[in-house]
Amino acid sequence: MSRSSQKTDTTSEYLIPESAPELLRGPKWLRDARERSRRDFNKSPVPPRGLHLWRYTDPATFLIPHDGPPDSTPDDGVQSSEGPVSEHLEKDSTGRLVHDVGGRDIELHGADALTSRGVVVCRLSEAVDRHRKLVEQYLYQLINSRSGKFEAQNSALWNNGIFIFVPDSVRVAEPIHLLREAGRSGSTQFHRLLIVVGRNAELTVVDEYFGGDDSDRNTSHANSAVEIFGLQESRVRYVSLQRYAHRMNSYLTHRATLERGATMLTVPLDFGGAVSKHNYGVSLVGEGAESNIIGLLFASGRQHFDNHTRHHHAASRTQSNIDFKTVLRDKSTSAYTGLIRIENEAKGCEAYQENRNLLLNRGVRAEVIPELEILNEDVSCTHGATIGPIDPLTIFYLKSRGIEQEAAVRMIVAGFVDSTLKRLPSDVAERVAGFAHRRLEGL
Amino acid sequence: MSDEIRRHNEDLASLDKDYATRYGFQDPVNYFHKGARGINHEVVEMISRMKKEPAWMTELRHAALDIFTAKPIPKWGNSELLSEIDFENIYYFMKPIEHQQSNWDNVPEYIKKTFDRLGIPEAERKFLGGVSAQYESEVVYHSMREDLKKQGIIFLDMDSGLREHPDLVKKYFGTVISTADNKFAALNTAVWSGGSLIYVPPGIDVKVPLQAYFRINAENMGQFERTLIIADKGSRVHYIEGCTAPVYSTDSLHTAVVEVIALEDSYIRYTTIQNWSRNIFNLVTKRASVYGNATVEWVDGNLGSRLSMKYPCIQLMGEGARGEILSVAFAGKDQHQDAGAKVIHVAPNTSSRIRSKSVSKDNGRASYRGLVKVHKNAANTKVSVECDALLIGEDARSDTYPTMEVDNDQVKVEHEARVSKVAEEQLFYLTSRGLTEDDARLLIVNGFMEPFTKELPLEYAVELNRLIELEMEGSIG
Repeated sequence: MSRSSQKTDTTSEYLIPESAPELLRGPKWLRDARERSRRDFNKSPVPPRGLHLWRYTDPATFLIPHDGPPDSTPDDGVQSSEGPVSEHLEKDSTGRLVHDVGGRDIELHGADALTSRGVVVCRLSEAVDRHRKLVEQYLYQLINSRSGKFEAQNSALWNNGIFIFVPDSVRVAEPIHLLREAGRSGSTQFHRLLIVVGRNAELTVVDEYFGGDDSDRNTSHANSAVEIFGLQESRVRYVSLQRYAHRMNSYLTHRATLERGATMLTVPLDFGGAVSKHNYGVSLVGEGAESNIIGLLFASGRQHFDNHTRHHHAASRTQSNIDFKTVLRDKSTSAYTGLIRIENEAKGCEAYQENRNLLLNRGVRAEVIPELEILNEDVSCTHGATIGPIDPLTIFYLKSRGIEQEAAVRMIVAGFVDSTLKRLPSDVAERVAGFAHRRLEGL
Repeated sequence: MSDEIRRHNEDLASLDKDYATRYGFQDPVNYFHKGARGINHEVVEMISRMKKEPAWMTELRHAALDIFTAKPIPKWGNSELLSEIDFENIYYFMKPIEHQQSNWDNVPEYIKKTFDRLGIPEAERKFLGGVSAQYESEVVYHSMREDLKKQGIIFLDMDSGLREHPDLVKKYFGTVISTADNKFAALNTAVWSGGSLIYVPPGIDVKVPLQAYFRINAENMGQFERTLIIADKGSRVHYIEGCTAPVYSTDSLHTAVVEVIALEDSYIRYTTIQNWSRNIFNLVTKRASVYGNATVEWVDGNLGSRLSMKYPCIQLMGEGARGEILSVAFAGKDQHQDAGAKVIHVAPNTSSRIRSKSVSKDNGRASYRGLVKVHKNAANTKVSVECDALLIGEDARSDTYPTMEVDNDQVKVEHEARVSKVAEEQLFYLTSRGLTEDDARLLIVNGFMEPFTKELPLEYAVELNRLIELEMEGSIG
């Protein structure tokens, strides 16, 4: 990850050609936006390594030669893993399911039941026509060609997008589950998700990223963009679960904005992939809005995770809270940068941030940068971070009670993780606990 | 309680009311030597020649100038303000008098008066073991108590130090902070003048503090003092520095490099009270290398300057080494205090603690920028970082940018930061006891700063409280 790469932005193989088929998809306003994004991507330099937010991950990791296998070609070698889908359908635990099949198609299950109440769950490419006004109003508002090089790339090339809209005052009780499957090895996918939750409406989305290759074939890539709008007094819960196979590099930008009185829970969960660089940002633009981010990262092998969170208080009496936990073992590395910014005009805000890193063995590496930018006095703001191993005294205590070393370590890590799981909504917690505990068994 | 405070305030009322009259006065001076504005190899050559330096230093200076020219202005921090510095408009060398004095009576009257007004001779009589007073580029007054000299302690201005102890200087100069460390360290290496050289022999405990006082008098002056402190095995020393300058409408530059070396089992405390006038750019590199079981403490107070960028650093090189950094910043109107601390754990069983306190008032901006790095071999290290920021006024700004890089699992790193305003409940409590709101606020700010003030020698603590009082005046907007 830190090794320097020979790739440079001057190499034409990384440029998006004018002839890229994605650029021709959609109505004119969309084609124009894609073309703008293509140009911005091509002319913007690869971020230099020293640059803030790029200090710990080589940007070249996410440069993808454009002549690679097109993401939308059917792959003969790898079967779509129907397993998870049928499992969900059988249990019907999630109610609605959207399966993004390795970039080839998007299958909708159970979404019809919602349409009678005006809820929209559909392909973004269809929504562009069927819900044109909404899509035109919201798409690219939070993530566009000016957000960064890789954001511009996604904005030009997104292919399999999903659109979710909940009308005012509609409450979607069961979570909508998105299954986003990675393509065949060496392929690249550009996921796009646009969510608009109307006034006083309620929505829970579980956004699950999986698939890719465990074998030694070429690494697959995903570059994802997530835009979420919480209108006045809405209640949104968004869980992002990344459990890719080991040969997968994931770049994700998430931006959400909350209007007056809206509340949001964002849950980034990182388990898989080789190199993941995920950036979560919530802007509190309406008075009294509240955002919570509860993150959990479990790294092993040679995995590298680079996470950012950003809470931006642009309105008065807004509240934010971040609890981001990291467990590292083997030779894994993690960098976490968390920014809280409170603008001058945002009075009476409260903001908290906590980042705890548990190091399970020698050879791991943890970087933590919790940042504060406070531009007025009327605030209450704290952050805390810890990095350290399991307390040997705790192990000693457990062993003195007859518990073996390995079991003691498992218990302590389970306790560390469970304190996060406990704060999740119970329906989501149950599902996540499965992954967390499977990782614990390997300890 | 309230009577006491009133009395205290009456005492304070007799003091001059603002920086301009207390510190901001300027002397009309006939300089012994005043070079031209701007920097080039001729200026460097001239400085080195006037100081009759050995060839290796002259070469080092020229090489440093090339590095300075080649390096860009840092893009991080307040790069907007930084880019305002006009390096061609600065005087890089001004020699106020021909020879340094060791008796205040021989110092020219106007300079003596300056330091009298700043209370330096009085402090020297009262509690200091040695004093160095630098005016523009050179130290004009220097003395050390006889008994300390006899113990073999070296406390000299850096120019004399290089002349009298060339081997010592050559051995350590630039070993902690290399010329290419950053643009401003390179600039200092090219044009350094003045500063202190301290060497404490093995086992010697310097029981009284040694002090240097830095004064900039001329407009568009650049002061580039260079300080090197070496505490040999098992010795102890406390060094204090203070700085002020007159108020001008155009900017001056203060770019120091301070290298501190604490050999095995030694103890060094370095205290700074930086109170430059608000037209000074204060860009300082300070770093200490700490060897086995030695301790270094930076006690760093930043009240003055327009923009300060200063991150005292401690490198824990030997097993059992310990470092502590206490950084305090007060950012008033139009000031940006970009202060912070760095600790690099290289050896195992080392520990460090960083405490940062900042007050931002009016549109002042205080930033904490820090780095904690634990290397692979530094097992069993302990690090604690605590940042507290107090905001006073609607437009005050506070930033916290700590970075923690941990490469070893046998560590305990803890970081905490809090940002808040003066709590309504505290104000209410104090005013309900009869304090005016101004008094209450001052009391709270003084309380907030106490962890810092209580580390200072008494005289400095009193002085600091006065400075805070001045800053806090009319704080109810």
